[in-house]
Amino acid sequence: MSARTAPRAALRELLGFWPMVTLAAFAIVALLLVLPVASIVGLSFSGKGDAASPLENYRLFFSERFYWQTLVNSFQVSALATIGAVLVGVPAAYFTTRYDIWGRGFVRAAVVITFVSPPFIGSYSWVILFGRSGIVSSWLAQWGIQLPSIYGAQGIVFVFVLQYFPFVFLLVSSGLRSIDQSVEDAARNLGSSELRGFLTVIAPMLVPSVSTGALLVFVAAFSDFGTPIILGERFRVLPVLVYSEFVNDFGGRPTLAATLSVLLLAVTALALLLQRAIATRFAHGAQTIRPLEMREQPLAKRALASAYVLLLTGLALLPMATVVVSSFLEANGPLLVARPTLDNYRAIARNLEMPLANTLLFTSAATLLCAVAGTAIAYVVVRRRGRVTGLLDMVIMFSYAVPGIVLGVGLVVAFNEPPLLLTGTATIIVLAYFIRRLPFSVRSAVAMLQQVARDAEDASTNLGAGPLRTFLLVTVPMISAGILSGALLTWSNTIRELSATLILQSGSTATMSVSIFTEVVNANFGLAAAHGTILIALTFVPLAILFRFMGKREEVLV
Amino acid sequence: MPTTSVTIEALSKRFGDFVAVDDVSLSIRSGEFFTLLGSSGCGKTTLLRVVAGFLRQSAGRVLFGDRPIDDVPAHRRNTGMVFQNYAIFPHLTVTQNIAYGLKARGLPRAEVDRRVGRMLEMTRLAPFAARRPRELSGGQQQRVVLARAVVIEPDVLLMDEPLSNLDAEMRVHLRGEIRALQREIGVTTIYVTHDQEEALSLSDRIAVMRAGRIEQLGTPHEIFNEPRTRFVAGFIGESNFLPARRAGEADAAGLVPFEAEGGPRLAVPASRLRGTGARFVLAFRPHHVRVAPGAANGAVLRDTVYAGTSMRQVLDVGGGAQVVALALSQPGAVATAPGAALRFDVVPEAITAFAEDGGP
Repeated sequence: MSARTAPRAALRELLGFWPMVTLAAFAIVALLLVLPVASIVGLSFSGKGDAASPLENYRLFFSERFYWQTLVNSFQVSALATIGAVLVGVPAAYFTTRYDIWGRGFVRAAVVITFVSPPFIGSYSWVILFGRSGIVSSWLAQWGIQLPSIYGAQGIVFVFVLQYFPFVFLLVSSGLRSIDQSVEDAARNLGSSELRGFLTVIAPMLVPSVSTGALLVFVAAFSDFGTPIILGERFRVLPVLVYSEFVNDFGGRPTLAATLSVLLLAVTALALLLQRAIATRFAHGAQTIRPLEMREQPLAKRALASAYVLLLTGLALLPMATVVVSSFLEANGPLLVARPTLDNYRAIARNLEMPLANTLLFTSAATLLCAVAGTAIAYVVVRRRGRVTGLLDMVIMFSYAVPGIVLGVGLVVAFNEPPLLLTGTATIIVLAYFIRRLPFSVRSAVAMLQQVARDAEDASTNLGAGPLRTFLLVTVPMISAGILSGALLTWSNTIRELSATLILQSGSTATMSVSIFTEVVNANFGLAAAHGTILIALTFVPLAILFRFMGKREEVLV
Repeated sequence: MPTTSVTIEALSKRFGDFVAVDDVSLSIRSGEFFTLLGSSGCGKTTLLRVVAGFLRQSAGRVLFGDRPIDDVPAHRRNTGMVFQNYAIFPHLTVTQNIAYGLKARGLPRAEVDRRVGRMLEMTRLAPFAARRPRELSGGQQQRVVLARAVVIEPDVLLMDEPLSNLDAEMRVHLRGEIRALQREIGVTTIYVTHDQEEALSLSDRIAVMRAGRIEQLGTPHEIFNEPRTRFVAGFIGESNFLPARRAGEADAAGLVPFEAEGGPRLAVPASRLRGTGARFVLAFRPHHVRVAPGAANGAVLRDTVYAGTSMRQVLDVGGGAQVVALALSQPGAVATAPGAALRFDVVPEAITAFAEDGGP
């Protein structure tokens, strides 16, 4: 009896709603992630174009100093930026969490603003301020003071540290909050000074947060090409080379760009694997009943700690402030005049409609896709845990490791021919945004689902509701607040996407971030600043809702 | 109301190497209040979830009436389930919660309203109809969930420790309501609990489960008074376990003499011997132990615990063994001082003897 019906039941189970969702998710990931990556890997090993053997492109890369030096350079600036971000970020997080420093609200806001600042424009601000004819450097030159150059490797590292230390700051802050006060009390009770207690007890418990932060900084720095393009001059890093080989009006070499992309991806993927291994290895799993407390400090200590944190965050905020202020100043090419005006906005108004409409449309479409697919995928990952859904989870998380520029190149290569001709369309940009942000949406929905007992869903099933009805009428309403906050985050993080967009856009699908890039490259800083200010405002509307009305902490950004 | 008998045939459920339910067979009569009783991990909830369709068994089958339901998906089984932590829909009002299953069945609106209205009356939830779950107490939430499960007129009502999250007073109160409601609508009910008092007071029959198997199945009276295994004797109610050696054959009255460790001699009816051999453990309830002054069987009072209505006396009976006696407090009784020599006795019919080497 049951032997006869078992296969039929198994088949029906296989054709059920959630298995179909799982299948669809695999199809999406295969098409948007695996295929593009496989395409560039394939291209990198192909003898097509001007290379002859499968390894020809790699041989070329490693034989020409012009090429391999970029890999060395990338490692150099990324490693230094990582060390720098940890060195400035950990104390800043500790002081902000543990000491009663002044201006805490400002610090938290500054970290968020720095974290979500549109790319490029911040780097260009540094040129405006500290470049060869920069405002600050010229002013200081009157007094005979010469600042170190903002250009080259040191400038890139400086900007990376200020731009990416929030990763460390936010992760360490939340790490500190997950340590129980009793742990520190015990160390002090056993005779440790504050510093000794920090080094012997608290620091070891922060290893997962610090290492995660450090590796995220490394990956972000390694795949960034905005800052190096502007500040690097003759110091070239790998992503810049990818971009210039792929988008080259004078005949770039796609096969070489693919090879470079594979190398770039290999490094970021390894870094993220390492991060996972470390986070698992050092997870302390201790219970937190009463988080570490804020301690009142003697005035001198309080003043010093405040000065340090405010200086750091103030410095990090400087480029954004420069952008907003200078968008209201008269500009003559790269030179700003201290005269308030709305000319920049008048100037961009004529061409604003298209990029603005594109930005809003692409971002909203990708956000919607992410919310729907992310929630459904999270459901199968959490509620139908198994080998298949575990694999799905892993493949989606792989998207974390794919730098925007690599994804852009991959999508162009994969969808360049019929029937999959999507290059140059709005669709391909939306899909790129969608797949880049999907792992974040899945992660946040997974976290929410894990907090909701599955009993209510079982009750719904028991009362006669099928899988889809249960999902829509019970699961989704129960986690709706979480889905909304996830969508707001997706929106804020997607709207400023540059690297993939630059590769994928076709003029008519340019976005605000592309406009900023174009104006920066053409040295129209006033116009870039006006675009940038609008983009900053758009980024902040959802964040303001998130932090003010939904009571979220800054850590959700990481 | 259409209710049904439930038959479970040679059912097993494995999770990897772990056998949660091990070859269980049961027949539950139509309209019966049937309880699966056991401590956590004994397989009772797993068995219930297989019946509900949330888990698929590794072997065996489940029938409602004479209809196998193994291939019927959970949402088509027409069972009403009450969950341990309510599983109330937090975003729906009381009315919407109760109407949920009726709407899922596509019933016309008027019919939904009529049935929900009647259920609100029956469970005295009408005043709270428009409230959301967070505005209700735990007991009220559990009544909503019960109404929600019953209103769909299920073939079988399944309850998974429905009272365990409530305080003691509310537990006793709701227990009565559950029993009354079940009697009124007459639905076959499978009730899972680890609380023996709940099981004894609610059930028509109880299956005591242990390690995935049924240890004993019977009426509450049988389970309590005629434990088939030492485990059941210890699990249901409090028992004394006194190691003893068989001291001879049954006499004319059918009583078998035993000599307990330390010397006391007790007799057990041959019909209450479980297993064979020389070494046994005698199980008997504290309230069946009679204590009297005198040193006839060498017991010494160690401690007296006064608990208002009752009084417990702990006796050292020699050989390191102890016996607990429980008696109702009597007016004017004088507490015996610890160290006093006493004699204790247990009527043969109150003792069950389990063979030491496992037995049945």
